[in-house]
Amino acid sequence: MGRNRITVKKNLPLFFSPALILIIFFVVFPALQTVYISFLSPSDEFVGFDNYADVLSRAEIVNLEGFPKWPPLGALIHNLIWIAIHLPLSMFSGLALAIILRDVKGASIVKSAIFLGMVTPMVVGGLILRFSFEERVGLVNAFFNILGFEQLTRTWTAYPETALFALIFGSVWLWTGFSMILYSAGLATIPKDYYEAAKIDGASPLRTFYRITFPLLKPITIVVISMTLLWELKIFDIVFAAFSGTRGPGGAGNVLALQMWLYAFRFSEYNSAAVVATFLTAFTLVISVWMIRYMVKR
Amino acid sequence: MERMEAVIAGLVVIAIIVSASTLWYGVTVLSDVSKLTDSTAELTSSMVDLTEELASLAGTVGASLDTIEDVLARLRAVEATLTPTITVIGPWAGKEMDAFLPVLDRFEALYGINVKYKKYRAEELATLLPAQFAAGKTPGDVIFMWGWWIAENGEEGHVLDVTDLVDEADFLNGTFDPVKVGNTIYGGAYTGKVKPGFWYRKSFFTANGLTPPTTWAEFETLLADIAAIPGIVNPIASGDGVGWPLSDITEHFIITYGGPQLQRDLIAGTVAWTSPEVKTTVFEEKLVPLLTAGHFSDPAEWTTILKEWWDGDYGLYFMGSWITGMVDDPNDLGVFSLPGCEGLVFVADYCFIPTYTEHLDEAKELFQFLASEEAQRVQVAQGGHIATNIHVSLDEYPAVDRMVANLTTGKEVLLDLDDTIGGAFQSTFWEQLQLLWVSPGQLDAVLAAIEAVAP
Repeated sequence: MGRNRITVKKNLPLFFSPALILIIFFVVFPALQTVYISFLSPSDEFVGFDNYADVLSRAEIVNLEGFPKWPPLGALIHNLIWIAIHLPLSMFSGLALAIILRDVKGASIVKSAIFLGMVTPMVVGGLILRFSFEERVGLVNAFFNILGFEQLTRTWTAYPETALFALIFGSVWLWTGFSMILYSAGLATIPKDYYEAAKIDGASPLRTFYRITFPLLKPITIVVISMTLLWELKIFDIVFAAFSGTRGPGGAGNVLALQMWLYAFRFSEYNSAAVVATFLTAFTLVISVWMIRYMVKR
Repeated sequence: MERMEAVIAGLVVIAIIVSASTLWYGVTVLSDVSKLTDSTAELTSSMVDLTEELASLAGTVGASLDTIEDVLARLRAVEATLTPTITVIGPWAGKEMDAFLPVLDRFEALYGINVKYKKYRAEELATLLPAQFAAGKTPGDVIFMWGWWIAENGEEGHVLDVTDLVDEADFLNGTFDPVKVGNTIYGGAYTGKVKPGFWYRKSFFTANGLTPPTTWAEFETLLADIAAIPGIVNPIASGDGVGWPLSDITEHFIITYGGPQLQRDLIAGTVAWTSPEVKTTVFEEKLVPLLTAGHFSDPAEWTTILKEWWDGDYGLYFMGSWITGMVDDPNDLGVFSLPGCEGLVFVADYCFIPTYTEHLDEAKELFQFLASEEAQRVQVAQGGHIATNIHVSLDEYPAVDRMVANLTTGKEVLLDLDDTIGGAFQSTFWEQLQLLWVSPGQLDAVLAAIEAVAP
């Protein structure tokens, strides 16, 4: 047994090598090549950080002229708005649903229905959102009409003031299932004794939540936050489908990944696309490293 | 004396012995020589035999080579009869694809070359092709794509120079401009579509006592009359895909109130979007007042709003001639251009041969066929298409398309503005018009943004 273990350990590099070779060729090399391209001019001359200075100062990336104002504010700012609104909303709504549905009979059916948004391909989700916010055929506007908010009835994705927010709020519905499922699993691991003890001590439900539930769900919260952040930074498919490949009215729905695609495949500006790609990767890498370090510490 | 005689006798004996030995030796040598001669003869005979064998063998080998060559010749003949299947990539699906397939069937019947059709939209190809071309590969042998994209990739060597495959004199004037770089032509023109103006249902106009306008004032009155009809949401339905139906409307206003030359100047980049002839004459005086008055609907997905327009929620719909293939009753369709319009946008479907095709000869055959009168005659007969080849007779068109084709009579045929420029301009143009449609008050910002990316 011991000898086998030593043999396996000795041959570990051999076992890893096929996967390693594939990763080097298909992940590491293209990634490094992208970084390299980001430092080149279209005529393949090395230009240092000139491309970064040029791209990151463009109005389609950051446009704060006349701020505060409605979108378009540039893709980078839109991504940050996306994070600021979508992250807390989807996280807390998922947590709330997980707690509410914890001891409810038939909760699994409700959870499955909510999780459907997560299962749906995001391109389909984008199309659903586009039509949901249409003035005359959209479900959202029908809802506003029923509630008597006729003044809110409009094609939300057609107006620069509302286009971005329509997608953000719509994607909360699509993403909430993710946090709800994780929190539900996390809640199941908390011993019931803690709650009984808190009850005997006379703790209010709110206090019980803050003192027991939320602290014990911290590992889950870290995963939800980091995964949601990564998704929000990389967001592309929903926006692409909802605006049919454009950046929305006046560019009001633009995000970094979409801008990267436009640079590469519509404008043939491969160096600019590489800049955005590198920038995005650096962003996501920071979050990933943070998450991995946290996991390892635990 | 006796001694002398004895010496002589001895000498004689010796002479006899020497002579006998010599004779014996001579005979032996001669015998050997004779044997050698026999061997030589035998050898010669063997060599003759060998030569004959070799000759025979050479004959056999020669025959075998002849046989091999014969087999190869036969294989080549078989190969010639076994035609490869070439792939054509186009944007058409559903009914539009059904109308295109008869053209390919005709080609197969005429040329004996099999053709496989794949559907990819230009936006999808823009993502797919750069990587394929970088690897020296292509997913198709003849590919339909944006004109500006073909010209751009032609310059980079990814698209075949087809200057010798087409004769510009056979086509509508200026048809090849978007796919030309200098005098080099990189793309072929298939059929196209006209963007003639505002479509209406004849039955709707008749029921409401409406008539097509002949002046701007009449047009304004018509819009007011339609707006007053119960159940009408807006007089004009604004279709939106990626922004292009809005760009078509805008171009129609530019051509009508700025003139056909203004459209050409904007394509060439010799006139600024912020100049008075564009900003004031076209936008401030004509288009923006209609937007502000609510005569246009909010932009909505163009096929959805097409149905709503057909159902009577809107009175007019600006669309290209392909609309004739998208409604239940094409005979109920009427169309008018803005009063005073002297030019119409004609959009050809452009195709090209990638440099990396493995079936170059067959691809050239198909390419030339698609540009031919024969192919375009088959296509226009299906409806919804207008030929670029000038030899196609009007008699070949269905009635409603003949009406559209006739609309071009006496008008200048112009290139589509954003399709011709392409790239960052096109996307920005579309997005800014989407913005203008819902916020006409932002005209200055919209025109400035367009001008920033204009040629």
